[in-house]
Amino acid sequence: MEEKELSPQESLDLIQQMIGKARKRYTDNSFYFLLWGWITFIASLFHCITATYTTFEYPYVVWSLTIVGAIISMARGRKDEKAAKVNNYTDKLYGWLWLSLGIAMFTIIFNGNMINWNTTPFILLFAGVGTFVSGAMMNFQPLRIGAVIFWILALAAFRVDPNQQMLILAAAVAFGYLVPGYIMKSKAKKNAI
Amino acid sequence: MPFEALDPLLHSQLRLGVMSLLISVESADFVYIKEQTGSTAGNLSVQLDKLSTAGYIDITKKFEGKKPRTTCKITPTGVDAFEKYVKNIQQYLKP
Repeated sequence: MEEKELSPQESLDLIQQMIGKARKRYTDNSFYFLLWGWITFIASLFHCITATYTTFEYPYVVWSLTIVGAIISMARGRKDEKAAKVNNYTDKLYGWLWLSLGIAMFTIIFNGNMINWNTTPFILLFAGVGTFVSGAMMNFQPLRIGAVIFWILALAAFRVDPNQQMLILAAAVAFGYLVPGYIMKSKAKKNAI
Repeated sequence: MPFEALDPLLHSQLRLGVMSLLISVESADFVYIKEQTGSTAGNLSVQLDKLSTAGYIDITKKFEGKKPRTTCKITPTGVDAFEKYVKNIQQYLKP
């Protein structure tokens, strides 16, 4: 960019051009959807199978995987933020959204005994909110569809016992997190970003 | 209505480019600004200093390991000045 006298029209064109450059392009957030998708998928199936077919008394211990997931997510988030050459409000908003939803979900799970472990429908509703808003922010249709699946399956989860809810949860994350996550990953690879 | 004089600090191609970039993000690295504006490191440094002296941007310099890292962020004064500049320019463009 060289120094020269700008006309008003040139000034306006320059502003438009630079704002366009800074505008958020497609972000690959598939890491988080795949991480949480697989953690939840494995944990819910493990929970359901051990509770149904074994005499193991504590099938829910498998959910401690979520603590590992939380640590990995935070570490990755911090690393990405450090490496980023530009910090956008969108990325920040995205992080705060999922952190607040995460706190809400953990609160429900840790107080699960008070609602007879009927936690899944509420988790699905919250996951739907995060997925829908993320989809809207990134303008990514598969996430919005995933959110609708979360909400539909939440309706079903309210009507079955906690053990069957685990199967619904596994199905919900498969369609709500894993499928959109893999689509996002392949798209990001194609666009080389 | 008489035309208001355009802010000379913003009415320069590189400085206006930098401000337009910074207005849409929270903060940006020196390297990012350099890439997006296509300017040389030396010239960019000088122009950033001018913007910083006027209080339009905040410059943070820190070290990550052995690598220096300069981050720029627009200030509320900078946002006001930018908005005023755009408003004034629109007056010039009115038929």
